[in-house]
Amino acid sequence: MASLFQRRRNKATQTERIRERRHEGFLRHADFRWAKISGGLCLLVIISYALVDVTPRHNGGSWYGYTLGTIGAGLILWLTALGYRKRKMTSTAWSLKAWTSAHVYLGLSLIVIGTWHTGFQLGWNVHTLAWALMMLVILSGLYGVIAYATLPKALSNNRDEMTQMQMLEAIRAFDRQLHAAAQPLTPEDTAPVLAALEEDPFAGSIGARLSGRYPKCATAAALRTLSASRSSDAEAREKVVGLLSQKEAALTRLRRHLRIRGLLEIWLYVHVPLTFALIAALSAHIISVFFYW
Amino acid sequence: MSFILRRISTTKTGKQIIRDQALPGDVITLGRDGSNIIHIADLAVNPQHATITSKDGRHVRVAAQEGLGFDLNGRTHDVADIDSAAGGELRFGGHRLTIAREGENIILLVERIDDVAQSSKDVDEVKAFSLQGVMLGKRMGAWAFGLLMLMAFLIGPIWAWHSYKNVDERPDGYHADSAWLSGDLSSAHASLKKDCQSCHVEPFVAVTDKACVSCHTGEHKAMSMAHANAPTAMLLAARHPPGVGEKILEGFAKTFNKPQGRCVDCHTEHEGAGPMPATPQKFCSDCHDGMSARLKTAGHPTTLADAADFGTSHPEFRPLVRAAPGAKPTRALPGKAVRDFGGLKFPHDMHLQATGGVARMAASFRGRYDFGQKLECSNCHKPEADGVRIRPVEMQRDCAMCHSLAFETVGGVTRTLRHGEPDQVVADLTAYYRSTPPARPLQLGGMQRRRPGAYAEGQVYNIYFREVAVRPSRAADAVRAVFSKGGACYDCHTVVAPQAGNSWRVTPVNQTPRFLQKGWFDHDAHKETDCADCHTAAIGSKQSSDLLVPGLRQCRDCHVGETGARLVKVETATESPCAMCHEYHSDGGKPWMPPRQRKKNVTAITDRPQRGAYDVSLITGPERQGLYDVTWRTPALHGARRGG
Repeated sequence: MASLFQRRRNKATQTERIRERRHEGFLRHADFRWAKISGGLCLLVIISYALVDVTPRHNGGSWYGYTLGTIGAGLILWLTALGYRKRKMTSTAWSLKAWTSAHVYLGLSLIVIGTWHTGFQLGWNVHTLAWALMMLVILSGLYGVIAYATLPKALSNNRDEMTQMQMLEAIRAFDRQLHAAAQPLTPEDTAPVLAALEEDPFAGSIGARLSGRYPKCATAAALRTLSASRSSDAEAREKVVGLLSQKEAALTRLRRHLRIRGLLEIWLYVHVPLTFALIAALSAHIISVFFYW
Repeated sequence: MSFILRRISTTKTGKQIIRDQALPGDVITLGRDGSNIIHIADLAVNPQHATITSKDGRHVRVAAQEGLGFDLNGRTHDVADIDSAAGGELRFGGHRLTIAREGENIILLVERIDDVAQSSKDVDEVKAFSLQGVMLGKRMGAWAFGLLMLMAFLIGPIWAWHSYKNVDERPDGYHADSAWLSGDLSSAHASLKKDCQSCHVEPFVAVTDKACVSCHTGEHKAMSMAHANAPTAMLLAARHPPGVGEKILEGFAKTFNKPQGRCVDCHTEHEGAGPMPATPQKFCSDCHDGMSARLKTAGHPTTLADAADFGTSHPEFRPLVRAAPGAKPTRALPGKAVRDFGGLKFPHDMHLQATGGVARMAASFRGRYDFGQKLECSNCHKPEADGVRIRPVEMQRDCAMCHSLAFETVGGVTRTLRHGEPDQVVADLTAYYRSTPPARPLQLGGMQRRRPGAYAEGQVYNIYFREVAVRPSRAADAVRAVFSKGGACYDCHTVVAPQAGNSWRVTPVNQTPRFLQKGWFDHDAHKETDCADCHTAAIGSKQSSDLLVPGLRQCRDCHVGETGARLVKVETATESPCAMCHEYHSDGGKPWMPPRQRKKNVTAITDRPQRGAYDVSLITGPERQGLYDVTWRTPALHGARRGG
């Protein structure tokens, strides 16, 4: 008997090891268990919607609409609980990976449950607002899943085995060298260098962060000005130009890093606040239904 | 007096080392260039930036040289005089020059106060490399958005409700609870769009019938008479057993206090702008489909037949008929040959024949009457003013064109027998024979003289004067002839011969104005169809007791179920829910239908019909109060509502 359990445990460990080796992410967790479950749920909803005959026509107030609405509201609250769950360390069967996998797939199934709950009757009211917020949250989450699946590779390629602080340190080193090398230059030439030195590498709006475009970049401007300038000692100027172009390369790497990190994070700035907006609108939606019952 | 340049450096342990250096000369130059006495390696400083001089060894003059000035107390200057005893702080690029006095010497302290570059500043790695630095915090956003939603869509609407709690009618303008409107109101209720409280009176209490009947005081006040008379237990037993879905709905309704059987159960609102949809068939068939068996099981046996869908499951019509001459009108029993004895003799087949005496007579009247080559239905049968039903046939109007009762012409005026008054006929004929001589033979005319023998038996005089003598007694023969076979009355009427104390009597004629009491049929809506398309039996009918009311089969030639269900092949199908013919609230009334589906010429219908137009007292006996109380609406019919 003991050996039987032993063997089973060995087998479980082995499976676990294979999973580890293949790095089974949250998307393919347990062989797409939650994808299958939520896919089946969607199919069930769509088919039963077509088969069930409610009078006078499908809407949220029919028995079918109530059922879908209750399921949907419960799902929304459970999905929100991921934010709580991920902060709790547990060692039980419900691993965070399993939880995340279920979060993603059940969240996607909410598109069908929520939309079919409306009976495709939309308008300018709090009910449709709750639906629209739900769709925005789901779409931002969908973006997040895609970003998590594709962007880390680009992030890794860009880093070139440097840490973030090493990237910043490289810029600092170029700045120090620039400051020293620019001393012999004329005031006309030092001004753009000075501007380049005074530029915060982390500056830029959210738009610049996400697009990676910095048209007013002082380093690039200094490089252009000094390349064209004829006023200072040519040798000193060339040294500065060389340093500037090196700094620009380092800055570009840092900015690309910031951009990819921004793209990895930005969806959460939609997903999380809109989730709470959704819960508020959902509460208003449910209370309004019972208030004007 | 001398200038002393003081430099302070800080060791790693934080200890400050002060180095003083006496500067040569009276004019101290300051700049980035190495040739200056005070050399500042700062790109923000010009190669030859400024000179520092002092005339009296106490006051110091600082003068900028190459355009770029310096900052003193926050302002940019080109020249500044500073009392060294009082001291002063000047700023050149990223460096600070402090002027002070120690004994006889003027101390010039130069320190770098700014970093060489912005990048050198300390950063919080977590914050700087993420979006935290450039975005509003997620938690902040969550609170802001969440509270905004609650304020705008929960607190606001409840506040709107609270403010108009005891107000009859809300003023115009925006009310926050309009954000709760789940769908547009039907056109009839469109004016209530902003006034949610007109129906949703109490919070968390489902809309009550009270809210409906506070405006709908007329025909919508009561339930259908047929349903209102039924005991509640019977009505409940009639309902079909609930399915899974209905059990769920019942559960919701029970849990959240939503009573059933309210007006709004059938008259659903917020289904979108436009006319309120007619009540769907399901609301009837939920009970009437298979109801008789359920009622029997529940101990409420009924004669009502089951009905589920007009196209497939509808009982045969039961028109109101008189099963025998002189019998009371009753609804025909299903499945039996139906005869309706109205008291008249009228063979439809003879009158509708394309050839023969009737057709020839009709043809001879062309131009005088509205006749064609033969008689048509409409030559004798005329619709009511509203077009819904057919007027009872009237002798004078509808028959007398051919069936003349004329018996005498006086000065060009034709005298006719009074129709409907047999006693008057007898009197008129008697008077006629008494007051008029028999026709004078030709032999008695002229001026010629006659021989006396002509008075003898069998001669002209004898015959004539005998006739004159007995003429009044001839009236009885004429009356008998009129009421007997071959006479004017007998052809159409059932005549009862005189019995003790009675004169000639004609059996009264009863024409049923409405055969189908439970359903509504509008002839006007079918006026593009030939009469014979539905009244198929008319052309072959030999007796007036043949019931010519069309049956279910004729209707189903065009009418199919609500969803198009049918048993027979139909060319142009008209989908017909129950409400097309059956009205729920008032048994005698016309079924309501959305204005768009109404015919354009509805003004005739909405005008109050003449009193007695639907006078059925003859058939049904004294009118029972309320039973046939039809309230005629006279809505302001706008062109748009009529669909045109």
